[in-house]
Amino acid sequence: MSSVTSPLVAFATALALSLMGCDQQPLEVAPAGAASATETAVGPIPGSGQPLPVRSNPYAGNPTAANEGYQFFSWYNCSGCHGVHGGGGMGPSLRDPVWIYGGSPDQVFASISEGRSNGMPSWGTKIPEQQIWKIVAYIKTINTPSEIDPPTMPLATQQAHEASGNPPASPPPAPQP
Amino acid sequence: MKQNRIGQIFLLAASLGALLTTSCTTKVAAADTNNNYDVPGMKPGIHLVSPLPAGDWTLATGDYANTRFSPLNKINTENVKNLHLIASHNDGIPHGFEGGPLFVNNTLYMIEPFPNDLVAFGFDKVGISKKWFYSPNPSNRAVGIACCDVVNRGGTYAGGKIVYNILDDYTVAVDANTGREIWRTKVGDPNLGETETMAPQIVKNIVFVGISGGELGVRGRLTALDLQSGKILWRAYNTGPDSDCLIGPDFKPFYKKDQGQNLGVSTWGPDQWKRGGAPVWGWISYDPGLNLIYYGTGNTGPWDEDERPGDNKWAITIWARDATTGQAKWAWQALPHAGWDYDQVAENVLFDMEWQGRMRKVLINTGKAGYAVLMDRETGELLSAEPFQPVTWSTGYDLKTGLPNMVANLETHRGKMITGICPSNVGAKNYEPDAFSPRTGLLYIPARNICMDKEDTPVNYIAGTPYVGAKVLNIKGPGGYQGELVAWDVAHAKKLWGIKEADLGLNSGVLATAGDIVFYGTMDNYFRAVDARDGKLLWETKLGSGLVSDPMTFLGPDGKQYIAVYAGIGGALGSVAFKSISEQDPYAALGAAAAEANIKNKTGPGGALYVFGY
Repeated sequence: MSSVTSPLVAFATALALSLMGCDQQPLEVAPAGAASATETAVGPIPGSGQPLPVRSNPYAGNPTAANEGYQFFSWYNCSGCHGVHGGGGMGPSLRDPVWIYGGSPDQVFASISEGRSNGMPSWGTKIPEQQIWKIVAYIKTINTPSEIDPPTMPLATQQAHEASGNPPASPPPAPQP
Repeated sequence: MKQNRIGQIFLLAASLGALLTTSCTTKVAAADTNNNYDVPGMKPGIHLVSPLPAGDWTLATGDYANTRFSPLNKINTENVKNLHLIASHNDGIPHGFEGGPLFVNNTLYMIEPFPNDLVAFGFDKVGISKKWFYSPNPSNRAVGIACCDVVNRGGTYAGGKIVYNILDDYTVAVDANTGREIWRTKVGDPNLGETETMAPQIVKNIVFVGISGGELGVRGRLTALDLQSGKILWRAYNTGPDSDCLIGPDFKPFYKKDQGQNLGVSTWGPDQWKRGGAPVWGWISYDPGLNLIYYGTGNTGPWDEDERPGDNKWAITIWARDATTGQAKWAWQALPHAGWDYDQVAENVLFDMEWQGRMRKVLINTGKAGYAVLMDRETGELLSAEPFQPVTWSTGYDLKTGLPNMVANLETHRGKMITGICPSNVGAKNYEPDAFSPRTGLLYIPARNICMDKEDTPVNYIAGTPYVGAKVLNIKGPGGYQGELVAWDVAHAKKLWGIKEADLGLNSGVLATAGDIVFYGTMDNYFRAVDARDGKLLWETKLGSGLVSDPMTFLGPDGKQYIAVYAGIGGALGSVAFKSISEQDPYAALGAAAAEANIKNKTGPGGALYVFGY
């Protein structure tokens, strides 16, 4: 395997080096005034162009919408993968600070709408835009004091855990907004 | 030295025995009791029914009968303390390493979790060296629909090919010498929530594969492929009309409750059988004398009981089928309707045994529901069913009707959390296979003692997404432990001894050997050898990650015995160790997070192959 790739790598490196040697004008990235071909960006934006306009959630901070979003989260089986309280399972946790494709509301919207390669479906073909924004509104309440239905354990379960001598790790307090 | 020579003579005798028996199969089949596969030192009244793996380990299950018993005895209770690392290979995939390697013609084969590479290592006196690898390049699409981590439970060797399943629903056959793909057959569709995780079984010229996705509303089935071409020969579904289930005139279920026409349709609400789950993701056994295969089916979909009234056949069922035509011989539904996720996919371990004064052809199955079920494998009659871990959902089985005696008020419904259901959805035992030693008459069960609280929730069927409908919390069971290696006295249907794990469930398969050693691993990284007779700890070592894999053994080219095993935490329980599962949320990982809350402090992801010698 390596005997095949090595000459290729060497060739590519040589080519890159020779190009760098040329006295070229810097490539203009996203010329001023040009329409962007992307609405949201997952990766860093190359060059020193204008930042993309960020779409904001029309339901940001709206608890009624977040509550509806929680219902949709269950209705569309989001809960089946990400957990009934977003703690993760087949899909990753939505409770931690790790956002593979960005955690801002427009980035979460894009992940839901467009889908992601490791099995996240492209819901934009099935869920109306306003409902997706409501799901985003719910997701953004997770792990905040305004979380809709936080993952508390029923008293009976808690007592059973304590009696078993193996109490589950108590959740760290939710961060202040 | 003396030990070695005796071992070699014994092995020679065993191989000769195997050769002789394969050449007179019909004679064996006609015999009332079959002792042609027997090995020295067996307990009176027990006979083996299929050849044991001698120097090589060619089947994921070890032998057709799924005993996972090796006749090798060079490593024994005296010298096992000298075991030390011979070689290791770290492949860097941070997912659950289930199953175990194969060893054929001095080559060790490792099958990885997604993306499911097959790696071949030459085995020589200094250890292992990579010969080649094969990358099937499965679609990422399948990753997000694998219920319980992107695991693979191994491959099987036959006719110069390594045959195994890849996550995005292909079965592949790879040339065992060159690593070249010989055929690739599509056996499922990720867009319908289907994945492939199980190890195929191969009988004569037929490859048997199931399907995973009991949490995604799949329609469970067994698919038979031609070993040479990969062509699909037939399919036997677990739900739907009798014609789809390959139920015909030969079908003679022992119990009345399993008799009738088109039960795979009539025991469901309208059309629900089309998404009823009943996947096949465990192990397949084969009885060469009866020419029957045995396997179990998984849970009913969805877990929400209110969604699907009826017995829901043939979920949570053991099948006996003709190994050539697939026609059903008998079926026994272990548990009608239930929503506790009690898959009955555990291996069916086959042997012949004296039971209540009469020689019987038996199978024993230790399912997620917590019962060690002993059956007559010719007829499907239940001989005994006793719990091997705490069980609250039933008080036992009625051997006359084949039905469990249910405890009231533990069935679940929408809107109310029901507490104290034991075992939990992760099962009293899960995928990890038992081993049976004919020398001790003991079945070694890697068990869990975990209970659950469950509340059903309304659920929508959307193809390719979860179809669960439940909130679940796992709780450590009574008695102050979570895992236990149980030595089960089959003849008396009771536990003889057990080795408990306080904080984590057991998730590794078991290997038993003629050296009277039992090998198994723990999720907190221990790999252990214990005395097969009394469970005394003989040797242990700590590996780089938790063990959810199946140890195996083989003879190297130097004539010495070796033990190989994977370490790599993951799977249904072990995935709680992953960073992608929140430690704040006890409901995460389908409820497993509550019970395994401490796992991140005890292990971490990592995938590696280890080989030990003495």
